[in-house]
Amino acid sequence: MKSVKKPVFFLVLAFILGLTYLTLFGVYTYYGDREDVWVRGVKDIRWGIDIRGGVDVIFTTPDDHVFANNDERRAGMDAARSIIEVRMVTQNITDYEIYVDYATERIIVRFPWRAGDVSFDPEQAVRELGEMAWLTFREGFPWDAESHLDLPLVIEGRDVKRAAPNYNRDDGTYEVLLELEPSGTEAFAEATGRLAGTGVAISIWMDEMPISWPTVSSQITGGNAVITGNDFTADAVISLANRINGGALPFQLEIDSFSRISPTLGESARDAMVIAGIVAFAVIAIIMIYLYRLLGVVATIGLLGQAMGALAVITGFFPGNASFTLTIPGIAGIILSIAMGVDANVITSERIKEELYTGKTLDGALQAGYKRAFAVIFDCNITLIIIAFILMGAFGTPDSFAAVALKPIFFLFGPSAAGAIYSFGFTLFVGAILNFIFGVTASRLMTYSISKFKSLRNVNFYAKGVKNRG
Amino acid sequence: MANSKNKFDIVAHKKLYLIIPAAILAATILVILLFGAKVSIEFTGGTILQYSYTGEEINVNEVSASVSDLGFNSAVITTGSAFGSDLQLLNFSFSASDGMGNDEQAQVTAMLQQKYPDKAITLENNQNVSATTGMSFFLKCLVAFVFAFLVFIIYIAYRFKKIGGWSTGIFALIALLIDIIVVVAVFVFFRLPIDSIFMAVILTIMGYSINNTIIVFDRVRENKSLQNRQLSARELINKSVRQSLTRSINTTVTTAAALLALSIVAVIFGVATILNFAFPLTIGLVSGIFTSLCVSGTFWATWQERKIRKG
Repeated sequence: MKSVKKPVFFLVLAFILGLTYLTLFGVYTYYGDREDVWVRGVKDIRWGIDIRGGVDVIFTTPDDHVFANNDERRAGMDAARSIIEVRMVTQNITDYEIYVDYATERIIVRFPWRAGDVSFDPEQAVRELGEMAWLTFREGFPWDAESHLDLPLVIEGRDVKRAAPNYNRDDGTYEVLLELEPSGTEAFAEATGRLAGTGVAISIWMDEMPISWPTVSSQITGGNAVITGNDFTADAVISLANRINGGALPFQLEIDSFSRISPTLGESARDAMVIAGIVAFAVIAIIMIYLYRLLGVVATIGLLGQAMGALAVITGFFPGNASFTLTIPGIAGIILSIAMGVDANVITSERIKEELYTGKTLDGALQAGYKRAFAVIFDCNITLIIIAFILMGAFGTPDSFAAVALKPIFFLFGPSAAGAIYSFGFTLFVGAILNFIFGVTASRLMTYSISKFKSLRNVNFYAKGVKNRG
Repeated sequence: MANSKNKFDIVAHKKLYLIIPAAILAATILVILLFGAKVSIEFTGGTILQYSYTGEEINVNEVSASVSDLGFNSAVITTGSAFGSDLQLLNFSFSASDGMGNDEQAQVTAMLQQKYPDKAITLENNQNVSATTGMSFFLKCLVAFVFAFLVFIIYIAYRFKKIGGWSTGIFALIALLIDIIVVVAVFVFFRLPIDSIFMAVILTIMGYSINNTIIVFDRVRENKSLQNRQLSARELINKSVRQSLTRSINTTVTTAAALLALSIVAVIFGVATILNFAFPLTIGLVSGIFTSLCVSGTFWATWQERKIRKG
């Protein structure tokens, strides 16, 4: 670190300012009407129901669907609810309400409009939740969709463990790979064994929609199956796989009614939150600069980076990532992230002060200060990362890395997700990592670099009332 | 007692550190038993009613006051509009504590129709919903927290093995639990709704509390390994707490000032819900200073001294 040169300060500053610009404004290119997103800006944030309003939709089971008994009804409705919940969290919709009325077999779902939605058409918005359809594999293929229910059922949605989109290099087509549950493996092996070579198809249905009707060439025993389709594109297989993974519903759900929910706080709340955020940041900057002078200036620049990093997590930053819904729990995550940054800078600056008071030279004090502060910041961040990881594993989507890693702990619980806690855990996780980047590394680089300027070597710029000169 | 040169003795008041949290805990439990907590519908289940009406938009605050007059205190009211027609909608969520039966629903309907006779108020939907977060959710939370605490204790014990290992982990956890109790107390005393904001505040304070405690123990670790091998546990704690004092105060004051600024601007613009979040969070921050500077270190020092006495 001794070799940090003067220009480093400006490089770090430029990096943080660049990140600030990208996070706030994003990068978009336009081709006529088409907008291509390269970096997602603040306008791509999906705001919570209270700020922007949303959709209220009531799903119900079809009239002809009958549950065997009350226990079955409860279990079925709960399964459907947790599937919808997982689908929401998969898309980072973390502000939602889901209620189940067992007696009337209704599921009430409320969720916010997507970012940039101007049509406010609830019917359109509900499509985001994916197919409320029943996935079935049936023997044979009828000429009219009406009679597909007469075909013998081979396996259904609940027998599928997971699905993955795949590009088949051999014949250049897109397909969806299925991994079956033990419950499905046997039935599938039996059916494929019986039908192999007969030319009878196994047709795959989403409710009344045939997706694919491959013929069986050989028996499939390993519990893996492939869905191929005549007109499958890359997008089509990804969305089909996601829909199956989001949980194939155990039965079909119909929309009973839908309506719009007005924002309780109103659109002005959004502007208020933005102004409040800027004012709060200014307050932090003033206090830090007042307390720590030059180190406070460096801290403020680092904190800007930390704040923008936390905001970039919310927007998703890269076009492939969906924006988290910004609600008060999300704001809590940002505040904790900035507070961690404040803390790292306070700890370091206090250490540097102490070292200067003991009579060290400026270079010696800076080095000792950063070194001593690092041990404790490291411990704090690692602890937070551990906790954040556990929260993500417990309350995130079942396919996420954290959830798979923690499967041995939470194996007793079925797939369930809790958006608010998950988004908090995620923000905390990234916040701790950002703290290493901005609170520790960036601030150290900037401080070493400015201490190379002759005019900035007066120790009184770093801590007041110190006698010796560096 | 231990060090006559040093007037600053945080350990001297150790009884107080037990009494204060215990009193807060007792008061919280008492208030919950007597008045209950304002738990939101997602945790308790309850009744959702949807009314449609025509004409000008109804003022939610007015309706809210009338509903409370009927004795239903938990109602959350939102407005909306139907799609494909120009009907306006009023949505009510009553948590189970209001015990909505058919009679109670009829009461609300009658009140609305009486209050707004020319708006053609009609009950569109009524659902008795179960808790979104049922028993299995709470069990999962419990397992998640117990597991997180275990890993936390193991990590702290490993990193601070020079100054007592397991005992540091356990005392850090006690400090954390006290902070959580304080936050719960704020929500219960001030009748703030127990909902997802509540969970966010608890989690934020958890993160904060952990940082605070680690910072004090880090000083103890350093003071012990540096020049101060001969200091007693009590002297070590006092020295370390004194050294951490400026940091704790500066960090907390800065964060609290930012929260205050955030709240002021938000309230000026009419977003008062931010207070449900900022106020308990600020109290939690203050509690964090108290527990990290007083509780965890004091208990640790007492524990160490007892260990030495016992040999």
